[in-house]
Formats: sequence, structure tokens, C-alpha cells
Amino acid sequence: MITDDVKARMREIVARYPSPRSGMLPCLHLVQETEGYVTAEGVLAVAEAVGAKADEVESVVSFYSMYHEAPIGKHVIKVCTSISCYLRGCDDLLAHIEERLGVARNGTTTDGRYTVQAVECLAACGMAPVLQVNDQFVENVSMRDADALLDRLARGEDVPSHPGDWNILRADGDEQTTAEANGATGKKAM
Amino acid sequence: MADTIEQSTTENKPLPLGPTPKFVTNHMDAPGIDRIEVYRAHGGYTALAKALRDFQPDALVEEVKKSGLRGRGGAGFATGLKWSFLPKESPRPRYMCVNCDESEPGTFKDRMIMELNPHLLVEGTIISSYATKVHHAFLYVRGELPYCSDQCERAVREAYAAGFLGKNILGSGYDLDITVSRGAGAYICGEESALMESLEGKRGYPRLKPPFPAVVGLYGGPTVINNCETIATVPAIVAHGADTYAAYGTEKSKGTRLFCLSGHVNRPGNYELPLGTPLRALIEDYGGGVRGGKRAKAIIPGGSSTPFLTPEHLDVPLDYESVAKAGSMLGSGGVVVLDEDTCIVGAVLRMTEFYRDESCGKCTPCREGTYWLVQLLERLEEGHGKESDIPLLADICDNIFGKSFCPLGDAATSSIVSSIQLFRDEYLHHIHAHGCLVGPRSRNVHAVAAS
Amino acid sequence: MAEQHVEEVNLTIDGRAVSVPKGSVIWAAARKLGIEVPIYCYHPKMDPLGACRMCFVEVEKMPKLATACTTVVAEGMVVRTDTPNVKKGRRGTLEFLLINHPLDCPICDKGGECDLQDFTLRYGPGASRFDLSKRHFVKPIPVSANILLDRERCIACQRCVRFTQDVAMENGLIMEQRGFRTEVGVDPDAPFDSIFSGNVVEMCPVGALTAKSYRFTTRPWELKRTASVCGNCAVGCNVLVDVRVDKALRLYSRTNDSVDDGWLCDRGRWGLDAVNSLERLRTPLIRKPGNSGNSTSLVPATWDEALTLVATKLRETVQRHGAVAVGGIGSTHTTNEEAYLFQKLLRAGLGTNNVDHRHGRFPATERNALPWVWTDSIAGLEQASHIILLGADTYNRQPVIDLRIRKAIRGGARVTVLSAQPTRLDRLATDVIRYQPGATPAIARALLNVVTGEGLTRGEFAQGRSASVAARAAAVKQDTPERLGETAGVDAAALRSLARDLATADGAVILYDEMATLEPGGENLAADALDFALLTGNYGRPGAGVGPLLADNNSLGARDMGLLPDALPGYRPVADAAARAELATSWGARMPEERGLSYDQMLAGGVKALYVMGADPVRRLTEQQAGALDALDFLVVQDMFLTETAMRADVVLPAVAYTEKDGTFTNTERNVQVTRRAMLPLPGARADWEILSGLARALGLGWTYLAPAQILSEIARTTPLYAGASRRALGDSGARWPLTPGEKTSEGRATVQGSPCLTWAMLEQGLTWAANSGEELAMSRGRGE
Ligand SMILES: Cc1cc2nc3c(=O)[nH]c(=O)nc-3n(C[C@H](O)[C@H](O)[C@H](O)COP(=O)(O)O)c2cc1C
Ligand code: SF4
Ligand code: FES
Repeated sequence: MITDDVKARMREIVARYPSPRSGMLPCLHLVQETEGYVTAEGVLAVAEAVGAKADEVESVVSFYSMYHEAPIGKHVIKVCTSISCYLRGCDDLLAHIEERLGVARNGTTTDGRYTVQAVECLAACGMAPVLQVNDQFVENVSMRDADALLDRLARGEDVPSHPGDWNILRADGDEQTTAEANGATGKKAM
Repeated sequence: MADTIEQSTTENKPLPLGPTPKFVTNHMDAPGIDRIEVYRAHGGYTALAKALRDFQPDALVEEVKKSGLRGRGGAGFATGLKWSFLPKESPRPRYMCVNCDESEPGTFKDRMIMELNPHLLVEGTIISSYATKVHHAFLYVRGELPYCSDQCERAVREAYAAGFLGKNILGSGYDLDITVSRGAGAYICGEESALMESLEGKRGYPRLKPPFPAVVGLYGGPTVINNCETIATVPAIVAHGADTYAAYGTEKSKGTRLFCLSGHVNRPGNYELPLGTPLRALIEDYGGGVRGGKRAKAIIPGGSSTPFLTPEHLDVPLDYESVAKAGSMLGSGGVVVLDEDTCIVGAVLRMTEFYRDESCGKCTPCREGTYWLVQLLERLEEGHGKESDIPLLADICDNIFGKSFCPLGDAATSSIVSSIQLFRDEYLHHIHAHGCLVGPRSRNVHAVAAS
Repeated sequence: MAEQHVEEVNLTIDGRAVSVPKGSVIWAAARKLGIEVPIYCYHPKMDPLGACRMCFVEVEKMPKLATACTTVVAEGMVVRTDTPNVKKGRRGTLEFLLINHPLDCPICDKGGECDLQDFTLRYGPGASRFDLSKRHFVKPIPVSANILLDRERCIACQRCVRFTQDVAMENGLIMEQRGFRTEVGVDPDAPFDSIFSGNVVEMCPVGALTAKSYRFTTRPWELKRTASVCGNCAVGCNVLVDVRVDKALRLYSRTNDSVDDGWLCDRGRWGLDAVNSLERLRTPLIRKPGNSGNSTSLVPATWDEALTLVATKLRETVQRHGAVAVGGIGSTHTTNEEAYLFQKLLRAGLGTNNVDHRHGRFPATERNALPWVWTDSIAGLEQASHIILLGADTYNRQPVIDLRIRKAIRGGARVTVLSAQPTRLDRLATDVIRYQPGATPAIARALLNVVTGEGLTRGEFAQGRSASVAARAAAVKQDTPERLGETAGVDAAALRSLARDLATADGAVILYDEMATLEPGGENLAADALDFALLTGNYGRPGAGVGPLLADNNSLGARDMGLLPDALPGYRPVADAAARAELATSWGARMPEERGLSYDQMLAGGVKALYVMGADPVRRLTEQQAGALDALDFLVVQDMFLTETAMRADVVLPAVAYTEKDGTFTNTERNVQVTRRAMLPLPGARADWEILSGLARALGLGWTYLAPAQILSEIARTTPLYAGASRRALGDSGARWPLTPGEKTSEGRATVQGSPCLTWAMLEQGLTWAANSGEELAMSRGRGE
């Protein structure tokens, strides 16, 4: 149900742009947040809000990979399968999760709790392998981490919104100066 | 209560450089720097004040030209020069787009900037917009990174509250609005013209060029578009002066940039280093060398769109010219290391799948070609390939390269063409031994297809 | 047309020099040289897309191959279309297009006229190196009531999608998914029900989009193709009729930029059912006493019997009751030649002016009719700053004009729809002003009221006619928008601001549907609209004008040719003695002097014998009115079908379809266009002009017409508006009347000058043709009051 409140928020979004049509993507995100997926009713509401024809909205929805046009699981687990994660074992990780949840990639468990997706590079290559639960990152995921995560989700816990695991940054300047001192060839103790 | 230029400068001392030059990552690890108070406590927004006080817009453009700053989005185009392409007069308003759609496999620097230090990006955006006489800027943030867009949105809100955005910024008479906008899952929307289509609420198809965005861009107006890191570098250039920045790096590739190190290394991560730092130093000194004491087999120097390099290239300085000379590209700075146990064909297949799935489908060579390439590579990887598949792969790439509508098609061919040149024997091994030369798959040799 | 000078650019292609207008793309330049550059996604009527990558050429100093459809020519450019690189690029593209193509040519309707087939033959690889698995789709799927889509054959050129989205601006086809999953489709919640849908079938370069009506009926090479004009509505789109043996299988567009801009509507495109109908009459019918009592029935007869009978009956009636007892109702669908012969038969042959046809109310024809035509042109709409639709529904009544209005909207024109019912254009219009049914004439008066009341008049016409203007002001004094607001529920403020806008507009085109003139008080609608345009200076140049939107393919021609009780061909008043005398000599007959009975009067029992050609009045009559028809002594109906009127006739004469005869039609913007016979006439039926000549012979009139061309040259002689008209002179795209004979071409081909835009001078001169036009001069008041 697209409530008047949601419609009001759509109008508010559209107002941020020089052209109403620009509200398309954010309004569709809004529909997906409130409805769980992009419903036919949602498409009409967005068309109305951004001043486009319903079929134009439909066309946009099908272009972008983040929009779902059918109901999906309560927890959407996206496992990155691009090159850096691939080099660090994402395929085994994904297989393990598929097996534990008893669902193949891009499928949803029969109880409707989990949807597992293989996705493209999530900009976390330094913390590979990574996955997202409802768009929140879980990085450097070992098999054990995966099991722990699934247990938490089973307990109904969720992954909070948080920054990435950028610890490497704190490798402070002195370290780097010594690195330079050692010169290009210089090996550095870990 | 909005500060005036005077206050904000007297209050804050100019930002110091770390022991190694850190123009972008300075203070990035300071706790809470994503809050405006902390950011300002570390000298945040003084560069903006300085820019508004000491520079006319055109002078700022000159300053950035002088710094030698080049685009960090991939093409490495000179930023100041790009800004100077905007027509002096135009009937339609001008816009700025900050490209925060980071999705090039192997690249994860923009995400870090947005998550840890969004105010740096906001300050850079305000200064750059002032320099280019823009009054409405957009941060196009990749859809899969909601935490990033939240951070940016909050930073923007705080900046409005502090009088760094909105009308008459710091009493300078300059007005600017920033809108943070999310993508929704499409690598192609990182391409500047597709990004604008997407911002206009359409399918992310790239646009015909010419006209170029600087002339006809967002909503048909002259538009500046720069990468997130590029913009985040601008405040430091203003704070320390173009010359300080230009003092680092090489003659043609000045300053520092973020290198995203990933793959089979001990210490993957983002390293801000002067351009020209040898590949070896990045991998061995900063990255702690190849994991498990193994040897590197191949290195991707600039994201998956750039051709492979090999250990022979370890001494190549990481600047645009040297890497190009070595047969690859510095690209987005995503350095991916593959160790000796990696099956090249498997890795190439995985990278090619990315381009097949991310091709927008507008043009024939990219849409159909990547589909064909993936199937051929699958066949090879599974050990059912034929020798004629190798020249075929190369020729399909030739029919895509330079013939697709946008560079995505070209990018899809990089790893294939270079791997055929550098690792031909591995392809042949797959064909003759019906399996991989190395890696897990090498142990159980694939059966020849029944059919 | 205003010849504004366009800069030419010189370049060479394959070593041959050519010059084309600045801004052209290489493809157009090559075409001018007759050099084929293969294209899929490019369509001359749409913005370049550059997607299919088929049109590669090599341009000197360009590092990569260039796409000829997107690369704009530059002075001194050197282009090659035949280098090894170009060949390889095109071969590569074709190989790519074919890897996922089903290669089902043997059962594909497009086979034989398919760009994928043909270009593969000319530019493609001999064999494909693709030996893996193709993408598969369920095929074909219906995308609309009339169209099916085979996604496996689709090459994703986006022509169809860009047409529905960018040109038609209607719900329609969309691109779905992306990358290799890309497909064309429809949104189930936004059905593809546009009246322009058929164009996508014609545009599809491959066999992906096919029309139900055509699928599996023929092979393209079995078709005989004839250039003709659509027989449906008053737009008169130029068409190609494709016929297989004795069946008209499809209409394609024969692009005439000034009329149809290359498009057709579905009503015309798929209106061939009537032509191919099995219901058509194949023999004359004569009413004979039935076997049971006094019942009668129509029984087959020979043409001789039928024509003799008609001749005898008509002559008898004239002898017994005088010529005034005979009348004729003509058609808005037959050719100019046929309409002309029809009135000539009644006037010269039978001696009566009782001739008319069904039309809107455009009174005062004894003064002349020039004011009642569209003073501008369809193409002129593109130059208008404002377009006003008054009681019109172009989408349903003149669809391809609606399409041109949409083009004007894209070009920045402001469109205001004033109508009682919602129209399909409302969504795209700048303003929509609703009012109660029947109030259209009052709306026009209210607009006049504002410009005269607020002193907003401008332009050479209004100046120096203060007396007339004052008179006009007085005439509409009561008709304020506010008053109308109460009576017709119209937004008075909106109406006022509209009138003000138009009084300052760069150029406004004001169009009303002829049927709106039939609304109460509508006899002055045409005059009021014209006066409004004249007083606000919106006339006399492209993009500024006024006029009616007529209904049928020859609605205007029927009037031009004098199917009117008070006007001779070319609107020369019956009352005009000189005109009568002229015709009397050229026709060699005495001309009746008093104006004849109108359509309604004849049907209301004004005559004893009635000749109906190509009309079906009964359909619009009440039972008791229709009773008057039965009271007739003699009714003859000439038609393709046994219409309701025909069923009451004493003699029925079977006529042929427009695809089966030569002639000319005149569209609603005065364009006189040549239509050609595309197929053999249905056996047993005859063209109306043949029937009329036959009847004339039976009446002993010495008519000897052998072909419509002969009739046209007589029209050109006797009708000033059509001076110089001939099939050759009118050529492929026709010319807008008033016509004037032009220079002969170097090959000695006759030419004719048209008048795209009626200037004030022309209107005024037209007016002076009128006898005793009283004061108010141009203020062309109807005979109404
Ligand atoms: C397929 C494709 C994807 C791209 N993705 C990105 C991206 O994710 N982020 C980015 O900043 N630039 C990306 N680019 C480069 C942009 O088109 C553009 O050159 C860049 O944003 C300009 O900013 P810069 O001059 O600061 O590098 C991409 C280009 C292509 C062809
Ligand atoms: S259906 Fe035909 S016109 Fe439409 S995209 Fe496919 S090939 Fe092009
Ligand atoms: S016709 Fe030129 S790219 Fe399609």
C-alpha cells in the first residue's frame, strides 16, 4: 500500500531536483523500502510523482540490478563474486551459505527469510571476501564468520549500519617512512 | 549561525602534512572526523575559506591546473584543463557531478573517503563548484553503498547548518546547493554521460559525444564531472598551494593518489602514495608482499579494465606514463595481485562475466560480444576448448575494441587480450590437458565433454 | 515556403565530391551520392542513436572507425566506405547480431525485404564462428491487439521503442533488462493501444515485429507496390499499397514530409478490410416485384439494364415534375474527378443545382468559401508558437495531424485543447479547457469578446477597419467568458488569458473540427474563428493560421468540386452569372440559375428522385426522416456495399474501392494529391467516374471520358482554384490550392505552383470573387443572421 505519507515523501524527493524526472531512482528506492519490492502500485505512484508514463518507469526499474519486481527474503545476503573476492575464496563462501540455507544463488528460502545473491564488486576488495546483509557490509568473512553471522540472523538479529573495516589505514606514517628508508626493495617485518 | 570567512580562518590552523605526504588521507583515521566539529578541529573548511577569500573562480582553475591534478576516475584527464572547457556563457545553468559510483572491480577508495571523511568530499565539492561557477552540485553515490550516501547526506546537512552551503556562503556572496543522489546498481552509470542519464531518471545508457558534458551535460547545461577522490584532493591543494602538491609525483603525473591494493597480498588496503612509486614498493613494502610467501604471477595495475602486468614489471613506477609504456593503464588505481597458483583463464573468465552482466546492452559489439566471450572462456576453463578458440577470442576482442559505443566494451577486452599475450601457454594447457595448469582445478583434470 | 538559406558543407566520399546542408550526418551525404551505408538503429525521422554499429565508415584523421549515422559532416572531410577496416567492422557487427538470431528466415515474413538478410549478403561473413548456445525466448508474443513480437529476431536497434516513446509519446514498447538480456516489451499495466502502433511494424528492420493482418499471407517479392493516397481521413497520408494478385495486403508509408512526415495511423493502415471484404457488391441490383404479393426485392441485373433504367427514371422525373424534382447527394470519399462529374451530371445533364454532400456548416458560400479552409499547412504547425484545438479531437479524427502536433510540442509549441470531452492530447497539452457539450461556438465568440473588448487587436487587417472591428465587438458584446463560465462551466479566467496570449503570440494556429460547426449556433463558428485569427494577426505566414479540420479523405475536394447547392466548382457562386456563363460554354449546356436544395432539404422530401453516390444518409436519419426516402419515386444508390440506404434503393450500382482507381484527392490543408490504381477492379463493379460517364451516355449526353486524367484537365480548365492541375504536374507529393500553372521542366514536364499558406491578399482576393459582399468586408459573417 503506497500511503499518502509515502506519496508526500516522494513529492519532497522530487523537489530536490531541477527536473521532477530525476526523482525516479530515489522514489523507486523508497517504494522498495516500504513495500519490500517494486510493486505495480509503486510504479504507478512513482510515475505520478516524477511525471513519467508507467511504462517508462517499468523500463527504468528493469535496468537497475538493485530493484526487485517480486517479493524477496527478509534478509538479502549479497556475496561479492568479483575478481578480488574471487581470489580470496568467495566461491566457497557463497557455496557454503547456499548449502547452509538450502537455497541456490539468486533464490529465496521457502520460508521467505533469506534471499542469496551473487553480486558484482562491492568496493571492499581490500577486505575480501565480503558480503552484505540488507546492504550492510560484513568484511573479511571466513567460513566461521559466515556461520556465526547466519546464527545471528537466525536469532533475528540484524547487521547494523557501520563503516568499513579500514584498519589498514592506521598503518601509520612512520611505518611508511621506514618503508621508504628501506627503499623499493626493502622487505618489512609484519 | 553561519561563520564569516574571517572567523573560520582565525580559528583553524592550516592542515599539516603527515610524515609522508597525505593530501587526501590526512586525519582520515581520526575518530569522529565524519562530524563537522572534529573535521573543523583538524582544520576542515579552512581551505574553503581561503578559496573564497583569496581566489577568483578563474584563478582557482589556474591553481588546480598548476597542481597538475589528474582525474582519478580512470582516464586521468587533467582536472584544471577540464574545468577550463566550460563555455563562458550559456543559456542553461551549469552543474557539477561528483562521481561517487565506485564500481570498478579492484577499486575501493571512494567508498573509504565517503565513509570516513565525507566532509572532505563536501568541502572539495564546494571549492570545485565555486571555481567552475556552479550553483548546484550532485553527489552521485553508488546505490549499493547506503552507508556512504547517509554519511554524505549528513555531512551536507551539517555543512548547510554551518553556513558552508546554501546562500551567500561565508558572506562571500557565493551560493551553492548540493544534492546527494543514489544509483541503483549499474556499473555503466559510472561512465559520465550514463551517470547523467541516470541522474535524469532514465536507463543508464551512455550518451553520444560530442557534445561533451562540459558543453551539454546534465539537463542540457554545461557540466563538470569529476571522480570522488579527484574532488577530495582539491581542498589540500588549496590549503598547501599547487606547488606543494606538484612537488610530489613525477613530471607529468604530479602529486599523490590512493592505490587500492587487493588480491593475494599480506596487507591489502588503500595507500596514498606519490605517483611514480614503484609497483614493487606498493606490493612488497606497503602490501607486505604476496600472501604465503608465494610469487606473484600477474598484476592488474588499475582496476579490472586494465591489461595485466607480470612480475617483470615490478619496477615500473606507478604513474600514468610509465604504466602505459609497460602496456597497461593506471586507471582507477585498483592494484590486484594474482599469485602463482591462480588460473589465469579462470580469473579472466570471472572478470569477463562482470562486463557481460554490466554491459548496458545499447550497442551490438558490447552486448553480443561479451556474451560470446564468456561462453568461449567457460568452454576453455572447463577444458573443452579448441585451439582455434584462442585466435577467435582475440578476433572477437578486436571486433569490440574501438567499435563499441563507450569504453566499457574496450575494457572488457583488456584482460583477455593481455592474458593471451602473456599467458598463452595456460590457454593451450586448458585445451590439451582439459584442465587448469595451476590452482585447485588442476588436480582433477576435467573430463572431455561427452557431446 | 520561406526559403531560408542553409549553409552547404563540402566533403568527399570514396573520392567523390558532395555538398550537403551544414549539420547533416555522413550517412545522408553518402545517400545523396547513391552510396549505401547500411543502418539499423538510425532512422532519418529520429535522433541519431549510434547503437547498432553497422554504419561504420573511415574518416581521415579519425583514429577509430566512425559511425556515419552520428558523425556530422565537416568542410573538407574525407570519408571512405570501402576500406578493409570498414569491411571488417561491419562484418564483425553482423556476426555479433547473428549469434543470437534464430536464423528462421524460411518462415519469417520479413524474408526478402529484411535488412539483416540483405546486409549479411552484402557486408556479412560467409559463415558464423559461433558454435555455442543461443539466447532463447518464447516466440512470438502479442504486444498489442494487432502486433506480435519475436524477441529472438530483435536486434535491439530501439527504432520501435524510440518511435512509441519519443515520436508518438504514447504508452507503447519499452526496452527492458540490460546487456545481453535486453529485450523489447510492453508494460502489462500500460497497454500498447496507440493509434500509431502500426508504424513500428514498418520501421522494424528485421522480422521481430509483425502485423497480425499480414503474417504468413505472402512473400514480399510476390507483392505489387503502387504509390497512392490513404482513403481514410482528411489528412491524406501518402501510402504504398502492396497487393498480392487480387488482395491488398498492407499499406506502407510513402513519406511526404509536408503531409504525413513519414507516418501512418492504424485506421488507415489497417483499413484495407473494406477493400478486401467479401460483402462487396459485384453486380448492379434492380428492385423487382417479389413473388409474394406487393413485396419487392433487389435482384441482379446487367449494367445496361441498370443504367438504362436509371436514365429513363431520371428523365421521366424531370419531364413530369421539372429538374427541381431531381437531386443528388455526393460523397466525401470519391475522387475529385468523380465529385466533379457528379455535379456536372446533375447541373449540366439534368439541369438542377440540387446537389450537396454531408459536411459541417460553412455558410455564405455565395460569397465564397476561401475563409473556410485551413489558411496554413500541416507542416506549418511545426513553426507555430501556439496551437489551439477548438472542439477538435485530432487523435481520433485526424491522427497523423495529432502526431505533427506532438512534434510541435517537442519543438516548444504551447498547445491548448478546448473541448467538451477529454482527448488523448490532454496529457501533453500546455493547457486544457473543458466546457459543456455544444458550447464550442460560444467559446469562439468569447475569445472574440476578449480581444475586441480589451482592445487586443493587432495586425494589418485590424488597422483601418475600425468600423468593422466595432461592429464585431458589438456583435459579441454579450459573450463574455464570465457569462460563459456560468452557462457552459468553462474556466473564464483561463479563457481570458488564452485570448491575451494569442493576441501577442509569435504565431498561433487555431483549428476547429468541422463537426463542431454543427453544434447549436455553429453556423458562425468558422467566421468567428477566422475573425479571431485576423484580428489577432495570426494569419498569412507559416505557423500562423486558422481553419477547419475536415473528416474524410476528400471532404475538401467534394466542396472544391461544387458538391454544393449554391456553389459551382471552385466555390464560384451559383448566383454568379459570369461564372455560370463560362461553365455553360465549356460544358455546352444550359445552367440552372437558382440555388439548389441542401442535403437536409433533399432528404426531407424536397425531391422526387434522388441519386446517392458514395454516401449512406439513412445511417444518420431518424426513422420518420428515413420514411421520406421511401416516399421518393426513385432512389438510386452507388456504393461498394449494400448500405442501409442502398437497401431502400430502386437501383444499386456497385462501385470500386479507392485502391482500384486513378484520381486525385484534396486533403484538409488543400493539398491536391494523385492516387493510383493499385489493383484490378472487383469484377462486376465499376469506378464511380465510369458509372457516371456510362449514365451520361445513357442520358444521351455526349460524354467521352476515357480516363480520370482527362476529367482532371477539364477541371483545371474550368476551375480557377485548380488551374494547371494535371497528374504529372501534381507529381508525387501534390500541391496546395489555389494552384497556378508553373514553368515546364527541362524534360518538358508540366509543373504547378501551390500555395502552402494563404496570405491576406489571397483571402481578400477570394472575397472579391463574391458578389455583393456587403460592409464588414472580410468580417465574413455567415448568412446565419
Ligand atoms: C564503463 C565506465 C565506468 C566508469 N566508472 C567510473 C566510476 O565508477 N567512478 C568514476 O569516478 N569514474 C568512472 N568512469 C570514468 C568517468 O566516465 C569519468 O571519466 C570520470 O568520472 C571523470 O572524473 P575524473 O576526471 O576526475 O577522473 C567510468 C568510465 C567508464 C567508461
Ligand atoms: S523489435 Fe525491431 S525495431 Fe524494435 S528493437 Fe527489435 S529490431 Fe529494432
Ligand atoms: S545506424 Fe549508425 S550506429 Fe546504428
